[in-house]
Formats: sequence, structure tokens, C-alpha cells
Amino acid sequence: MKIGKLALAAGLLAYIGVPLLLGGNNYVMSLIIAALVIGGIALAWALLGNLGGMVSFGHSAFFGVGAYVSAILTMEAGVPVMAGLLLGGLGAVLASVVMLPVLRLRGPYFALAILAYAHIFKIVATEWSSVTGGSGGLSSIPRLPELFGVDLAGKVGSYLIILTILVVFVLCYRAIRASHYGLALRAMHDSEDATRVIGVNSTLLKAMMLFVSAFMTGVVGAFNVHYISFLEPDYAFNGIWVTLPIIAAIFGGYRTLWGPVAGALTVYLVDQLVFKNLIPSGHQLILGGLLVAMIIFSPRGLLPLLRRPSRRKHAAA
Amino acid sequence: MLQLDALTVRFGGLTAVDAVTLSAGRDEVLGLVGPNGAGKTTLFNAVSGLVRPSAGRIAFDSADLASMPLHRRARMGIGRTFQIPQPLHELTVRENLVVAQRFATGRVDDERIEQVLDFTRLGDRGGRNAATELALTELKALEIAKALCTNPKLLLLDEVLAGLETSGKRRFMKMLQELHKQFDVGILIIEHDIETISQLCDRVAALDFGRLIALGTPDEVFSDPDVVRSYTGGQA
Repeated sequence: MKIGKLALAAGLLAYIGVPLLLGGNNYVMSLIIAALVIGGIALAWALLGNLGGMVSFGHSAFFGVGAYVSAILTMEAGVPVMAGLLLGGLGAVLASVVMLPVLRLRGPYFALAILAYAHIFKIVATEWSSVTGGSGGLSSIPRLPELFGVDLAGKVGSYLIILTILVVFVLCYRAIRASHYGLALRAMHDSEDATRVIGVNSTLLKAMMLFVSAFMTGVVGAFNVHYISFLEPDYAFNGIWVTLPIIAAIFGGYRTLWGPVAGALTVYLVDQLVFKNLIPSGHQLILGGLLVAMIIFSPRGLLPLLRRPSRRKHAAA
Repeated sequence: MLQLDALTVRFGGLTAVDAVTLSAGRDEVLGLVGPNGAGKTTLFNAVSGLVRPSAGRIAFDSADLASMPLHRRARMGIGRTFQIPQPLHELTVRENLVVAQRFATGRVDDERIEQVLDFTRLGDRGGRNAATELALTELKALEIAKALCTNPKLLLLDEVLAGLETSGKRRFMKMLQELHKQFDVGILIIEHDIETISQLCDRVAALDFGRLIALGTPDEVFSDPDVVRSYTGGQA
């Protein structure tokens, strides 16, 4: 019951409070949108880590492929932008298919192999210049359309779109986690052989989580490209699109549903609004310090840390 | 139902299972005995798919299992327990059984789960965390319960009695005796204790250094000089 009220309050704040209170402040709105973009990747990354048991350093590939696919299809084939977002996600899924051979690797080997794969896509985007515009990139990419009289290309409109994308993703994540697949995936971490001998096709389940995670990341990449209307390989496949989300997810609690998004908002906004003013260059250093402190004092992240007091109360009652 | 044909498993220079030819039917309880390192568990692993045979054939209901992945063998009706219990971590006892039902049979039959919980005397443990909140006897019972929820035709039981105290052992014996009939399942069981095997099994296969050295009724096998020698480690 209490959780329901909390969700309602958060929903009202996010959908009505933020646009009303901050909608006029373009700078803050653009920071929030950027934070939510990182939050979206963080969410997808955490889904793969939490349900699939895989640590990926390659999500910048899905982000970049989603961005390029949607940008090229909307520019060259006249695909509507909203459809481009979904197709960007599907493009990222196709990109993840070539990563399937890596699934049989474990732990650090998987992480390294997927990092190498990610680099391949950046090279393709740079060299295949007839389609991607090469290192010069693409500009004048169609912006988000107008819907019901709301200009989605504006800050408030863009904010509502990315917010809605994240809400849908979290609901999907929750549905997967609560399903029989979710049970089997949770069990696979520590007892893979035991799950396989009772009929679980663990490789298939892992592949499905990779697809879901890639799709989400691709959609977020596609959203971002229509939001900023510009694209180049160094930007689209930048390692920052995987390092910041990892920091955000771990900071917020990568095993929780909203932790990665909450982590992204906290880390990015605090960094940009506070530390950047204090230390104009090298402010990311503080992020590193914060992350280390979080891992030491609350390894499960920010959200579990906030929940802890109420749980103690329950225990005492 | 299960047919092993010159099954051989090598690990480097060691031949753990050496050209074993053996069959097991749905209507029998077949004991597998032999000293430590005789290859009993390796044979189980080869049948359930955890290790790949180096040579020979494994057929189940006349399907060749050689290149069949683990999960498909489970769906065909091969259930197994592990000597060291392997509960599904992070899940409750009931969730363990739900996963087994859902993925081995394609659907979750709550009645079957309740029946299995009752049979394995885990009825009041359904909500417990399987990995952290069970006693050893209960973990061993959960191994059997998980395997039963895959609706097996053949059950491979790997030392389910080992490590239990006397009263627990007695209760387990009773459960094992009913298992075969109540669930219409063929059983292949590894156990060290000769008395246990004699009470439970219709036939016994004895392994030594990976080779099948005797096969027959419990009385025949346990009076076989080769078997006695392998057990006592010296002259008969």
C-alpha cells in the first residue's frame, strides 16, 4: 500500500511537477534529459547484469547502432521518427546477434570480448561513409514530432518522451523478473548446472536478456539522436555511454528496478550542478570517489540504502 | 528405456567409465555400486549430459543422446539429483519446483507440486529460501522433489542417503521404496550401503575402475568374488 502511494507521488512529480516547476529552465531540463538517457542505458545494462548475470562493457555499441539506424532510416527512407525509435531498438538487437558467440564466455572474458565487439561497430560507422557519413557524421537529423499539440522536440516534450520510455522499460523489466523466466534467470547465477538439469535452456535465456537489453539501449540511442539532431561515430560509440551508466547503475543499486535511473539522476545532476562549478576540470574524479564510497558503505546501492531504516522498523515490530 | 552401449568417458589419461554396456527399464530399480572413484557419478553425468562421452552410445527411448543438450534430456524424462545438494539459489522451495515444472514439462501443475511437496515431506517448507533455510535432510528431499517435478521417466539418484543420521535415513528409505511405484518412474541409484541397495533394488550393477564387473540380483552381485575383492580392497 505504502509503495503504491509512493509510486503515485513519484509519478505525479515526474509527469506534472517537473514540467511545471522546471519546464522554463532550459539548462536544467537538458541536464535532466541527459541524465534520463544515461538512466535508460543504466537500466538496460542492469537488466543484463541482474537477470542475465553478464557484465557488459559494450553497451555503447547498442546505443550507437540504435542512433545510426534510426537517423539513417528517418533521413533516407522517410520513416516517421516515432517508428525510427523502435527500429533503432531492433537494429541494436541485430547488432547483439553477432555478439551471441560471446555468450559462452564467462565473467571478465565476456566483458572483454563484448568491449572488442563494440569497437567493431565504431569502425564500421567511421569507414562506411556512403551510408553513415563517415567521421564527418550526420546533421539535420529529423527531430521528434508534434503530438496532440505538444511539440515533442522541445525540452518538456523530449523530457516526457524519454520519461515514458523509461517507465515502459521498467514495467517490462518488472514483468520479466516476476515471470517464470525471471525465476529461472535468478537461479542461474549460482546454480547453472542445477537449472539446466531441470530443463532450463540457459543459453537461450541469456540470449533473450541480451536482446532485451540491446533493444532498450538502442531505443534510448535513437531517442537521443533525434533529440540532439546530430551524430558522429566518436560521439555515438563513445565509451562514456557505457561507463557513466555502469557508475549510475551501481551507485543506484543495479539489482533494483529504479536504482539505475535514480543513480543516473543523482550522479549526473550532482556532477553537473555542483562539482562542475566547484572544479571545472576533472570533476569526474569526485564521481569515482563517490562510487568507491558507495561500494564500501552500501554495496547494494543507493535505493537499498534509503530503504534500510524502514526495514529495521518492520523487524522490530 | 535407457541403453548404454560401450559407454566410455576419459579425462585426459584417466578412463573414468570404461566401455560400460547396461540397460535400465522404467519398471525397475537398478543399483549402481562400487568403491570411490569407480566411475558411478561420471556415468550419471554422461547420461544427464554434464560430461560428453569419449566413445560409445547413450540411447533413451531409442533417441540418441550423444549430442543432446542437458535441458532437452530433462524434457525427455531424465531427472537427476546431485550428491551435494544443489538447490536453486535465491528461490523458495516452491519456486524451485515451479521452475522444474515450467521448464521441463512446459506448464506448471500446482497439484503435482503439492503432491511432490507432501511426498518429500516438504509440505510446510514451501516458502523457505531453498539455499539458506533448509537442513541437510530437507536439502536432500528437495533434490528429489525438483527431479520429480520434471515428470521423469528415469530418475538418477546420487547418494541421497549419504550424510543422513539414522532416523533421517529410515524415513528416506521409506520414501525411496514408495517412489518407484507412486510416480511410475524407473530408478538408477548410487549408494554405498549394501543393505540399502539390497532392500531397494531389483538389479545391481557393480563398477570398478570404470568397468562393469558384475550385473544381476543383489544376492548374486554381492556374493561375486570380484565385487567382494573391489570392496574389501584385498583377497576374497
